[in-house]
Amino acid sequence: MLKLILSRLALAVPQLLLLSFFVFLLTYMVPGSPAAAVLGEAATPESIARVETQLGLDRPFFERLTEWYVGAFQGDFGNSYVSSRPVSELFLERLPATISLMLGGIIVAVLLGMALGLIGGTKAGSVRDRIATAISSFSMSVPEFWVGIVLVLMFAVQLRLFPVVSYVPFDVDPFGWVRGLVLPSIALGIGGAALIARQTRTAMAETMSARYIDSLTAAGVSRNKLIFGYGLKNAMVPVLSATGITISIMLGASFAIEKVFAFPGIGSLMLRSVTGKDFAVVQGGVLLIAVMIIAVNLILDVSYGLINPRSRPQ
Amino acid sequence: MPRKSVFFRSMVPLSIAGVLLAGCSTGGESPDTSQTATDATLRVNFGQFPENWSPGQEMEGGLLRVPYETLLAPGSDGEPQPFLATDYELTNESLTLTLRDDVTFHDGEPFNAEAVKANVEFVQSGATAYAGPLQDISSVEVVDEYTVRLNLASPNPSIANTLTSRVLPIASPAAIADGSVAQTPVGTSPWAYDDSASVMGSRMAFTAFEDYWGETPGFANIELYAIEEAESAAAALVSGEIDISDVEVTALPRFEGSSVETLQYPAIRNNLFFFDRGEGGTFESVELRQAVCTAINVPQMIDVEGEGEAATQHFAEGELGYNSEITGYPFDLDEAQSLYTEAGSPSVSVEMVAAPYNSQQIEIYMTQASELGDFTVSVQTLPPPQYNGEWNSGRYPLGLSSNDESTPFEWYSAWFSAEAPGNPSGVESDELKAAADAAIAAGDSDEAEDLWADVTKIIADEALTCAHLRGVETIAWNSSAVSGVSAPDELWEPKLVNYRELTPAE
Repeated sequence: MLKLILSRLALAVPQLLLLSFFVFLLTYMVPGSPAAAVLGEAATPESIARVETQLGLDRPFFERLTEWYVGAFQGDFGNSYVSSRPVSELFLERLPATISLMLGGIIVAVLLGMALGLIGGTKAGSVRDRIATAISSFSMSVPEFWVGIVLVLMFAVQLRLFPVVSYVPFDVDPFGWVRGLVLPSIALGIGGAALIARQTRTAMAETMSARYIDSLTAAGVSRNKLIFGYGLKNAMVPVLSATGITISIMLGASFAIEKVFAFPGIGSLMLRSVTGKDFAVVQGGVLLIAVMIIAVNLILDVSYGLINPRSRPQ
Repeated sequence: MPRKSVFFRSMVPLSIAGVLLAGCSTGGESPDTSQTATDATLRVNFGQFPENWSPGQEMEGGLLRVPYETLLAPGSDGEPQPFLATDYELTNESLTLTLRDDVTFHDGEPFNAEAVKANVEFVQSGATAYAGPLQDISSVEVVDEYTVRLNLASPNPSIANTLTSRVLPIASPAAIADGSVAQTPVGTSPWAYDDSASVMGSRMAFTAFEDYWGETPGFANIELYAIEEAESAAAALVSGEIDISDVEVTALPRFEGSSVETLQYPAIRNNLFFFDRGEGGTFESVELRQAVCTAINVPQMIDVEGEGEAATQHFAEGELGYNSEITGYPFDLDEAQSLYTEAGSPSVSVEMVAAPYNSQQIEIYMTQASELGDFTVSVQTLPPPQYNGEWNSGRYPLGLSSNDESTPFEWYSAWFSAEAPGNPSGVESDELKAAADAAIAAGDSDEAEDLWADVTKIIADEALTCAHLRGVETIAWNSSAVSGVSAPDELWEPKLVNYRELTPAE
């Protein structure tokens, strides 16, 4: 297991180096100056030049890149061009909201996805299998943004069951935190549920049609035990893989959900920084998000290795 | 039935019930109309919070004017009125301000001449959006504790008006010095930022400042929310989670049958500028510029976009700079083609840039202008930050954008004088320069009004700019929670409401 972890970490370092280089290069090549974004409509060529000097944007590419790498290795990703605050500080203060949203979304995706997969996979080809498949196809095709708005209109405006402006920090009000996460988690998790549902359905259908299941049935093992004790356990392996992919997809989708529900997470910060050309935040943000995805996938790989020892590196 | 099975079978419906009860128990918040004026909280949404609350940064008025105040305030007639400064004297060389002696910042720092000096110098020298309007100030002199003199490098008859605007909100010099003002605004207003009641990125709470120098407003507290998405903002208004918000016109049908009311006020002015009008330039010819202006049909564009109002000139009736003799360039294709012929029917094929929020408007105008003949302007849409830096950089022979200068001096200095940053060709007619010099020399005397009207007439006659459009800001509020909402006195500031006159609804 240690070998697995070390091998994944060893691979992560060059991945992150390459990724950060390309992001730095892309932001450098984008036409227009971040100084113009800072100055807004009052920007003139003279004021842009002045601010570029103040922000160090007039220095050569490799000088800036080297300085950034050196800082990044020490956890210093520079300061926002707009707010002048450390990039790492900006991300750390928004991390709890994003983690909350991702957690809620994953719970919805896993529960809903596995439920749909179980319903369909335990009786492949039946009417209920077709219904479950249709539901998961629908959930995959609807944009999360649209789902969020529909949920807001239905449950926040019409029924007044949940708030529109939903985020409350856990340490301020745990009950409000849970309540505020319901609608955004559903909006975010519905799309992710589809992939998990399909994987679960396929794995369950294969497992339930295996010969040993027939033997166990003949031996008098109950259907529930067959499904939950044997079938689901064997189906967990592909489900874990699907969950890892789902988490990465959901991280991108969370940007739109944050906008609908006014969630102060990393997504809204990144959107704002990209459109506002605050490339210091974009560069640091992409790296930090990549680290998060790598960490999540490492956890899933380890879990995968625990469930299926044959997958561990020899 | 085995216990484990019962347990798991029970969990699902219990969980669902729990979630629903969680929603039911407090539900969406209803407006609390039982608040007294002494503890009332106004919940406002004007979109994203500023990333930087420092003076001189670009901020919507509705956000800036919660914690901050200005040295002077616009009167109902547009003339600067006393506010943090009780009096001022303007000459060609300086603006001397007498300050209130009973004002304290939210952090306890005293408001005085040194504080004003710190703010002016900070805005002038930092990476700020509003350094430009203060560049005429060559130095700031502290005459005594409550008297400050802004020495001018050249005459600036509008400098007092500038001090009523978003250019110079007054922040605590201590907060400026330690940099904390970027995140936590520290001003002099009735509402002080309360970090303990705020939720980072979601809600900013401003509570009653007990040492406020002026009249207690109807709402003791203000909470700002950052709901960017238009549908979500409308939903939050209808559900009663917020009391006031700016909204899109497309959201107005959502309010039918509810207690939400709306108003609109003119907040945006945009027009077409001809930049390349130097010798040999694409738009050197007055007749060509007039031809383009006459070919553009602003009312038709408004019909397509669904909002806006055509105007003959930049300044509205009653404002300094307005001239009733300016008729603009009403659409007339025959007249436009005649002018184009007079200009020698030049072959024009150039490019201009647009932002996503004005690309349709510009495309429509240039399609209309192409009816002149051999006249083609291709439009490239850029992201807003890039557009801001490019559209008037001199790389493009014409451009269109908003221009929020509120006085004719500012407008002339920003776009039409030979040294104007918005005049890349550096071209200015002798007639215009003479008229502007005379108006500037008149200072804030009575004759300045007519002189500035002459300046704007020349600008119009020379077709240096045209296709004036006024856009509106739409404000919606929950009438069961708030009363007294009207358009703000601050002219042409989007996303603003008259905070100090608002009271809880009866």
